[in-house]
Amino acid sequence: MSTALAVKGLTARVGSIEILKGLDLEVPFGELHVIMGPNGSGKSTLCHVLMGKPGYEVTGSAMVGGTEVLGEPVDKRAQLGVAIAFQYPTAIPGVTLRELLEELADQRTDGADLGARVADAADRLSAGPFLDRSVNGGLSGGEKKRSEIFQLAVLQPRIAVLDEIDSGLDVDAVREVAEAVEAMRNPEIGVLLITHYNRILQYLSPNKVHVMIAGQIVRSGGPELADELEDKGYAGLQAELGLATEEEPVDEGDDFLAGL
Amino acid sequence: MKPLHALQDSARDEAPSAWLADRRDQGLELFDELPMPTSDEEVWRYVDLDFSLDDLSLPSEPGAPMSDGDYRIESGARAVILDGYVTSATSDEQVVVKQLKDAAPEQLAAAEESAIAVDLDRFAAAHYGFGDDGLLVVAPKGSSSSRPVFIDVQAVTPDTLSLPRILLLAEDQSELSVVVTFRSPEDDTFHVVPHVQALVGDGARLLLTTVQAWGYGTTAIGQQRAVIGRDGFFHHGEAGIGSRLGRLHFSVELAGPGAHSEISGLYFGEDEQVLDYRAFITHKAPHTTSNMFLKGAVEDEAHSVFTGLIRIEEEAQKVNAYQTNRNLVLGDAAGAESVPNLEILANDVKCGHASTVGPLDEEQRYYLMSRGLDRVRSDRLQVRGFFEEALNRMPHSELNDAIRSAVNEKYVRAQEEGRQ
Ligand SMILES: Nc1ncnc2c1ncn2[C@@H]1O[C@H](COP(=O)(O)OP(=O)(O)O)[C@@H](O)[C@H]1O
Ligand SMILES: [Mg+2]
Repeated sequence: MSTALAVKGLTARVGSIEILKGLDLEVPFGELHVIMGPNGSGKSTLCHVLMGKPGYEVTGSAMVGGTEVLGEPVDKRAQLGVAIAFQYPTAIPGVTLRELLEELADQRTDGADLGARVADAADRLSAGPFLDRSVNGGLSGGEKKRSEIFQLAVLQPRIAVLDEIDSGLDVDAVREVAEAVEAMRNPEIGVLLITHYNRILQYLSPNKVHVMIAGQIVRSGGPELADELEDKGYAGLQAELGLATEEEPVDEGDDFLAGL
Repeated sequence: MKPLHALQDSARDEAPSAWLADRRDQGLELFDELPMPTSDEEVWRYVDLDFSLDDLSLPSEPGAPMSDGDYRIESGARAVILDGYVTSATSDEQVVVKQLKDAAPEQLAAAEESAIAVDLDRFAAAHYGFGDDGLLVVAPKGSSSSRPVFIDVQAVTPDTLSLPRILLLAEDQSELSVVVTFRSPEDDTFHVVPHVQALVGDGARLLLTTVQAWGYGTTAIGQQRAVIGRDGFFHHGEAGIGSRLGRLHFSVELAGPGAHSEISGLYFGEDEQVLDYRAFITHKAPHTTSNMFLKGAVEDEAHSVFTGLIRIEEEAQKVNAYQTNRNLVLGDAAGAESVPNLEILANDVKCGHASTVGPLDEEQRYYLMSRGLDRVRSDRLQVRGFFEEALNRMPHSELNDAIRSAVNEKYVRAQEEGRQ
């Protein structure tokens, strides 16, 4: 059986800057994987490269459910089953989330099903506060994250990638977000959660944890890898793996406001 | 047909009031003296006036009216101006709607305070020199009518010039709501110089929407002026969705302390349309506030211009003034200019402007497409959202559906015909 996501030798550069440097990763259907990595290691770039954002020079391969997505336009990739909960989702002034989803239902042949999922997920994830407001406009940090997760639940992708969905949230919100992620799991979807904190992991049961440093997955293991990382820090792990420690980028850390 | 040159010497109906009589004389004189403006002049820089007023004629009688348009709304008081002739005027319990010739002299005299300058340009001179009648709308002192007055201005006799004139008078402490739509058949040639002037009395409120829904063969050189008294409020919404050349010179004067004006609008140019907005906001009194928010888009070879001047006079302290103009350029051959200006003579004011001209936003497109929407739908949604912000600020929300579809249909049609 094909995997939800199979990435091989993925490189991405912007101009002369190489951000992803030959990245390999597999997420089987039904599994939840976690990528941890310091700021600036290329986690968000991985999301954009999977989604097909213009502006990157990309080589390698990324298969979703057995189909190559690299080279396809963004909307085609979404149709093939890629969905990202963005770290910094773009505001669409004057367009409500409901209108966006209605337009999508109008386009898709399974529009009625999509409509039903909107109603169901709106109820489950209490989407009230953001469904009838402009997309990511004037929402709090937490509402933006919930809006992104809500859309993933509605889209039912084959591979769902959640980029720092826990940053800037208080403890209760992190638990809620984690529960929503667990609820998303099923045998027909692979979930890839990107974070740089352990915090959310205590509410999740991932199958695997990957450590990403400087554009590569440098280590993969079970959930215990997260604890090890907690003890040693990224620098310790890098030293152990015999990797040159790069200059630590400025830690924008928990301050999600920085990206708004 | 009444050619302008023949009208210059012929016997005319008496002007409706003394100040209109004066301005008629001055207008005729200035019309003789002034040359047609050319694009060498800064204020006409973007406009190609491919006709001369001297060659135009007024229709000798109103033509046949058009059928009801898309912007017709429920109203009590109403009026129709056909080819510059007031053909119907209906008052309701609150609001007086009358031809100028039937209006009370003291009301007409009061309206002079908001008169458009006769020497503004040759079009103003022609308007005063050759225009006879007009429409007066009065909300009497202390009256309050939330039901809008609906004024349907049409140009219907091809190859003529018409000079519609509307005087709005919101007397002290009154509340007046007015919707004016401007229309003409799609294909023939029309020239129109409409004047809309408004006096907002002390503590009065005037909500005014003007919809320029002229046909594509129409050249409309519109001139508007509003003067706002102490603690008065003027909320003006403008929708520019028609004409081949649509120029609107509008000035707002915050004359009394505490006066406030809110101007919102949107425009959409397609084909070879030229839309030229000239806004002049003058703060003459302290504690006055003004806010202007205009959004426009151009596609094909259309061109739009926004020049906005906020002037704050020396005695106008504690003023708050802001203007925003955002433009979407949707085609390689389309263009938009946005030129906001501030002229501040007082020293204790808050004043600013924001102005942008650019294509559709790549980040928004990426986000929308990442949800699976194709590019055509993503862009359509983005254009729709762009205008929504302006629509939300319009004074008569009952017009929004019609304006929204007019604007969005233009873009959808361009997409479908592969022009986008
Ligand atoms: N469009 C871009 N142009 C130049 N540099 C970029 C661009 N996008 C990302 N980078 C750089 O690539 C590195 C990885 O960024 P990013 O993927 O956002 O990291 P992370 O999400 O892991 O914090 C950073 O050093 C960042 O500055
Ligand atoms: Mg990131």
